Amino acid sequence: MGEVFLPGSLREVFDLLSGEPEALLYAGGTDLFVRSSLEEGGGKPLVCLERVEGLKGISDHGDEIRIGGCTTHSELIRSRLVREHFPLLMHAARRIGAPAVRNMGTIGGNICTASPAGDTLPPLYIFDAFVELCSAGRARRVPISEFITGPGQTALERGEVLSAICLKKDHGCTFFHFEKVGQRKAMAISVASFAFAAGINGDGMIRKARCAFGSVAPTVFTSSNIDRCFIDKPMDEDTLRQAALLVRSEVSPISDVRASEGYRRSVAGNLVMRLEDLVRDTG
Amino acid sequence: MKDEVRQFPGGPRLDALSKVTGREKYAADYYSGKFLWAGAKRALVPHARLASVHAEDALSLPGVVRVLTYRDIAGSNRTGIARNDQPVIADEKVRHAGDAVALVLAESREILRAALGRVSFDHEPLPGVFDAEDALKEGAPRVHEDNEKGNLLRAVTVRKGDAERALDESDVVVEGAFETSRQEHAYLETEAGWAFVDERGVLTVVASTQTPYRDRSEIARALGLDMEKVRVVAPYLGGAFGGKDGINVQCLLGLAALHSDGVPVKMWWDRTESFLAGMKRLPARMYYRLGAKMDGTFHGLSCRIYFDAGAYATLGGEVMAMGAEHAASVYRIANVSIDGYCSYTNNPIGGPFRGFGVPQVTFAMEQAVDMMAERLCMDPLEIRRRNVIRRGEKNCLGVELKYSTGIGECIERLMEHPFWKERQAWKSAAPKWKKRGIGMGCMGHAVGYPSLIPDQANTRLDLRSDGTICLYSGLPDLGQGNASTYLRIAAAILGQDPEAMELVQPDTDHDLPSGTSSASRTTYTFGNAVINAAQALRDVILGRAGTILDISDPGRAVLLPGKVRDEASGREVSLTVIARFLNDEERTQKGYFRAPYDESTIGIFYLGAHLLFSYGAHLARVEVDTVTGGIDVIDYVAVTDAGTVIDPVVYDQQVHGSVAQGIGLALTEDYLVSDGRHDTTGLSTYIIPTSMDLPDITSVPVETFEETGPFGMKGIGEVVISGCLPAISNAFHDACGMRITKSPLTPERVLSALARKGEVGK
Repeated sequence: MGEVFLPGSLREVFDLLSGEPEALLYAGGTDLFVRSSLEEGGGKPLVCLERVEGLKGISDHGDEIRIGGCTTHSELIRSRLVREHFPLLMHAARRIGAPAVRNMGTIGGNICTASPAGDTLPPLYIFDAFVELCSAGRARRVPISEFITGPGQTALERGEVLSAICLKKDHGCTFFHFEKVGQRKAMAISVASFAFAAGINGDGMIRKARCAFGSVAPTVFTSSNIDRCFIDKPMDEDTLRQAALLVRSEVSPISDVRASEGYRRSVAGNLVMRLEDLVRDTG
Repeated sequence: MKDEVRQFPGGPRLDALSKVTGREKYAADYYSGKFLWAGAKRALVPHARLASVHAEDALSLPGVVRVLTYRDIAGSNRTGIARNDQPVIADEKVRHAGDAVALVLAESREILRAALGRVSFDHEPLPGVFDAEDALKEGAPRVHEDNEKGNLLRAVTVRKGDAERALDESDVVVEGAFETSRQEHAYLETEAGWAFVDERGVLTVVASTQTPYRDRSEIARALGLDMEKVRVVAPYLGGAFGGKDGINVQCLLGLAALHSDGVPVKMWWDRTESFLAGMKRLPARMYYRLGAKMDGTFHGLSCRIYFDAGAYATLGGEVMAMGAEHAASVYRIANVSIDGYCSYTNNPIGGPFRGFGVPQVTFAMEQAVDMMAERLCMDPLEIRRRNVIRRGEKNCLGVELKYSTGIGECIERLMEHPFWKERQAWKSAAPKWKKRGIGMGCMGHAVGYPSLIPDQANTRLDLRSDGTICLYSGLPDLGQGNASTYLRIAAAILGQDPEAMELVQPDTDHDLPSGTSSASRTTYTFGNAVINAAQALRDVILGRAGTILDISDPGRAVLLPGKVRDEASGREVSLTVIARFLNDEERTQKGYFRAPYDESTIGIFYLGAHLLFSYGAHLARVEVDTVTGGIDVIDYVAVTDAGTVIDPVVYDQQVHGSVAQGIGLALTEDYLVSDGRHDTTGLSTYIIPTSMDLPDITSVPVETFEETGPFGMKGIGEVVISGCLPAISNAFHDACGMRITKSPLTPERVLSALARKGEVGK
């Protein structure tokens, strides 16, 4: 394992990165430290962002909230702002790992790991989150769907740090649902996950719907086709059956040691069916 | 011993404090000033002829001390219990991906890792064989060319009555083919040890092992040493479950220490290596036919079972034979035909794992029993109660059950349980997208070795000159708490506070050969030896106290913590004083025990029959999610006949641990290998249950009194796990009306079964 640096400010981080351009950034280390490649030789220096001032915490900025990149999953779950405006993100964060992993792992880390199975990602896609990227010279905002470019791949440039995630409050949704299918109930990597948000009119007709799926495509899977098929319809069996069919035809999962392509495809569709009862329950 | 039954004081395990405070030293915890790390270069190819090993590149790395190959081994370079077929370091051939081809000694773990990457070897790949049945076919690639019967490691047959005719005569015959997975032990402490050659020239190996005395002779033979020149020490283990019943690090470590110029050597497999080279539960394929009369009486059973031993024998053949002996589960069946086969393949090494072949066959038999109940429209518990074997009756081998046999009571206890009585109401209250079911499984498990293998134990109890009492164990404590129980047994007889006593873990220098810490025998067999030693020491102490206190009637003297009191006069003398009045020989008392055996059974079955069994009956309440195919075990009841409960804490821990491991076996645990290459590589893809995946487990003891057991107990370590697979599989069938005959019952298998019947999302 390479040398580990513990900078206290972004300034220090940028200095370190200019001296050690090969350095790996990390926060909680919950993904990085279980990778055997780390032991097998890389030997690259590691820069821990955990103690960097200003990267933690959730703040209200009027029409949007800003989540520091090093905010832990546990902090997301406890946050009043998240619960009030983005309960879907809270539900998803609750399903990550187990308490120890949630206490260490961060939302910024989950994004930069860019796994199709990252559990905070589907809600972030649904809310059209922006990631804020800082480097010594500049700062930029990129939509999450453009930031993550493939499995394990992001648009993070050398010398850049993911400093925050910004979410607009006016998403217009009042109904939320998240379900994760893993191989067990905790310490599980998603085999398929489904996040859903909708705005429903007083007459039960769906005004707006957003779906996002984890682990069924190279990155989080969203589809305007699928979202559109809910519009101006009630959340009944017919609507959901239509949506499920579309989902099964549009996702592009792979087979691996956790599940087959076929299982992921059918479950992704099945998960949509479950909405029927949930809407009835929540009235 | 019945008159001596006493209430054991409850309370935490006696090893709890030293473990939770980190004071207890496991084999993996040994370090000293200067030492070397040893590590094996693994083949990673499943079958190949080995040409040459190239060490130069590794040796050129600073800090690399030695690269050893089979050429450096003076002995037979073979280990094994039933057969000596496993090389310490591969010589002519590689037979599975985890074979060691070289051993590297280095100054640090990092250098070792780098050096292992630089060792290379030339080999000629050979076609492999990866299925237990295929292995027995004509022309299959041979794993061991010198095995006379091709890839057949062991076969057993049981013929009682005329099974074929009985099946013809039966009113109903059910049949099925069943398959179980390869289960990984996944102990907390991976294989580890420490070795050095001491000033007397004795090779000392400290290892995480269930079998110190047997290891000693295996090390000596494989490395070409005199037995007297090998010592094995077995500290507490961080889990074993059968996976450390035999050699893993011991010989490699010993070889390293013989080439380390007197410096101690440490070896500690990481999880990847433990998965790659460690033993697994043998996968099995089983073909069953069960026949019954209209009234539900089982009339005939015919089965063929195939176990996959992997590349080396270890105890694979014995595991299969144990499976065959338990193939009829807990039922009285007049006509039985069992053919058991155990094959060599180029798969990971199979070996002992809690249950030792019984979970596999119980999965098959108990589903066949449920299929029969369904065909006869009988209550599944009633059909079991009607056929269950009772004391004095003969089991499927034709052996009369002369000892405690409480399976009937276990079933009756389940019939009274509210979960059984209220099953219809519970099922019909299933929430949307869920189907609910209740299933049961019954099982037996032999305690101790089969009759041909002497099942004996030796212990020693010392009253030290300072008045403290010390117990020498001959059987390692794998984590199950037998050491704590030994102390409680001795303390109960000696009237002492067990916390004031000391227990010394096994060390072959103590010369207390007691067999292996396995076979549900650790407390049954060794506990009896402890009783004998404790009674002898008690007699010595009371006799001498009588003299000191001048008591004419020795019955008046009573042992109390730290002292002896004359009940009549109230006078007391401390153990310290008594110890001073005893010579060394008197202060050391030995205890021996040999479990009952029956030589007349040696002819009828492989190593002779087992005579004594523990039993259980399980009930599982499950919910099947028709959206995802996930099975959730909601409640679990485990009724167990393991004789008297002498320590409720340790007893329930065995029940809970077994159920947890059994639920893993039933639902998620499947070590994946394709053509001998390991697809499962770590704990993120080998799915053991977490606490979130486990239900509340109700443990209900049926306390038969086993006359031959310490205070009436029988082994509890293994019996419980065999009930989980059938209880959960039968519950799935009860919920969905279909059967999955291949375990584990993964969401994927469940969903495709539901899809076949159009039941997805119902």
